[in-house]
Amino acid sequence: MNVLPFLIIVPLMGAFSMPLSSLLGEKARSAWAVLVSALTLAVASKVFYDVWSTKQLLVYTLGDTTPLGKGVGFPIRILWEVDLFGALLALIVAFVAFMAIIYSLEYMKHDTGLEKYYTLITVLELGMLGIVITGDLFNFYVFLEIMSIASYALVAFRNDTWEGIEAGIKYMFVGSLASSFILLGIALLYGQYGTLTMSYLAVKIGQNPTFVGKAALGFFIGGLLFKSGAVPVHMWLADAHPAAPSSISAMLSGLVIKVGGIYALTRIAFSIYGTSINIKTVGWIIILFGCATLIVGNAMAVIQTDMKRLFAFSSVGQIGYILLGIGIGLAAYGTKVGDIALAGAVYHIVNHALMKALLFLVAGAVLHQIGTKNLNELSGLAKRMPFTSFAFLIGAAAIIGLPPLNGFASKWLIYESSALFNPFLAAVAVIGTAFCTAAYIRVLFTFFGRPSEVVDNAEEPGKAMMLPMLVLIVAIILMGLFPWQINDKIMLPTVDMLKDQLHYVAAVIGGA
Amino acid sequence: MIPFQFITAFLLIFMGLYAFLYKRNLIKLILALDIIDSGIHLLLISLGYRLEDGTLPTAPIYTGYETLKGTPMVGPIPQALVLTSIVIGVCILALAMALTVNAYRHYGSLDINKLRRLRG
Repeated sequence: MNVLPFLIIVPLMGAFSMPLSSLLGEKARSAWAVLVSALTLAVASKVFYDVWSTKQLLVYTLGDTTPLGKGVGFPIRILWEVDLFGALLALIVAFVAFMAIIYSLEYMKHDTGLEKYYTLITVLELGMLGIVITGDLFNFYVFLEIMSIASYALVAFRNDTWEGIEAGIKYMFVGSLASSFILLGIALLYGQYGTLTMSYLAVKIGQNPTFVGKAALGFFIGGLLFKSGAVPVHMWLADAHPAAPSSISAMLSGLVIKVGGIYALTRIAFSIYGTSINIKTVGWIIILFGCATLIVGNAMAVIQTDMKRLFAFSSVGQIGYILLGIGIGLAAYGTKVGDIALAGAVYHIVNHALMKALLFLVAGAVLHQIGTKNLNELSGLAKRMPFTSFAFLIGAAAIIGLPPLNGFASKWLIYESSALFNPFLAAVAVIGTAFCTAAYIRVLFTFFGRPSEVVDNAEEPGKAMMLPMLVLIVAIILMGLFPWQINDKIMLPTVDMLKDQLHYVAAVIGGA
Repeated sequence: MIPFQFITAFLLIFMGLYAFLYKRNLIKLILALDIIDSGIHLLLISLGYRLEDGTLPTAPIYTGYETLKGTPMVGPIPQALVLTSIVIGVCILALAMALTVNAYRHYGSLDINKLRRLRG
């Protein structure tokens, strides 16, 4: 059975029945939220397993069974098309969202309007799942906007504080401008080629790469770099991610910037444009943005005194590594080096989603128990909150890239491929990691330093907050124990499917 | 020759961008976003418009009459896209207005330069 539609149906139904379930009381609503996200995770695992075990694309057409229009000669249906990259991200999205929802059961207990909160968080998950499974450009735009609107509202969820409102407004203006760029790109492509189906567009662009098509790619890259928080336009990220509630920060930093930015960029560059344009130039543009991003993001993280802001800048830095990997994958398209770089980038997307989710959940636990996230006041936390500090230790070590943890493998792949491609880039990447290490060592010294009076009465958070952190720690350690097996079994097939533009096209045009 | 609708659409987009970059009032920024969106909508709609042999096209509602008379129809897909996009635009507008009201409560001003308390 094709379970793909349930990936959208379950969270959509769940989200909008959330207010109904809250009529039955607080317990029913919590149970419903957990149930919906658990079901989504189950469906996502099934989709991932199907795609992974058969190595075939899953195609689902809305409406008619054949994607070709009757008597029109080109596909006019909206269709969903999932390859291994999309399925992998769907799995990660569902997993981290599940953790965030369990965490919010306790973390958000003191807030009001929680039925809206759970509706929005499920809609946010829905938007991301839609982006990773869609095979239609306008459908992609609609899901992108669903995701973006939900995240603007969630950043400004605590509207009694100025912090959330200011961050929400900044995020909303920048995000809407970026969305407009993407819509303009879609309009140009539609005007030039008369279709919105990604695979058919790939055929058309391959036949006739015009100037308008390339201009559209420019708008896409611009808009999606805005959305992923690359360096010249990263300031909204450093405001928005710390101001959101911590469970939302975990989703924003771990998932939204990757799904709404990096994934879409990769999909458009590889599956729509592919080799029909001068892919080397595009690759170098992305590499340059990636280098700037990883230096500035990590360097800015060193000087922060606000813990969540530090993590947000660190997210900017990690996005730099992913962009670097994808850029090398484009610039060295078709060579072994390009494959390794892409595998590293995909691997780092997954790893960073887990690590940054864990780190923001730690920050949330500290904020929830002590009420401050200022690093100068948090000295000596480890004595009072040993589990939380241990979780931070694991997350920080993983993000720096210490060997027994999962960050090591993905960063190693990126260093290795950039050194083979161009040694200068490898030097830049290592300098970025040096800054990253400095930033996290500083937090570590704060946590394990002499206790201050603020933390004297601190206690560990409750079970609902400990459990997601524990699961994420276990996931990080498990992934760290088998890095090369995961790379061979999952990441390299993902890269092969991502690069196989012909297959992506044939799955739709060849008659489903 | 570039059709005049396209020129108007890009003029609207650039007007919106200008306002977005140089205006400081939150309401004006929201309007700027809306103008950019309107420009893109105009571009999309005019992509579906076609004039064949001087006959004006009809709305894309299939009744059977059009094939009888042989009059062309405008493209239906851009209209569906623009409808969807307008709905999305209204969502953004409503959210932006709600946030602006809240910002005025907290800051007592609609100047975006006053929204500068987050830093570091």
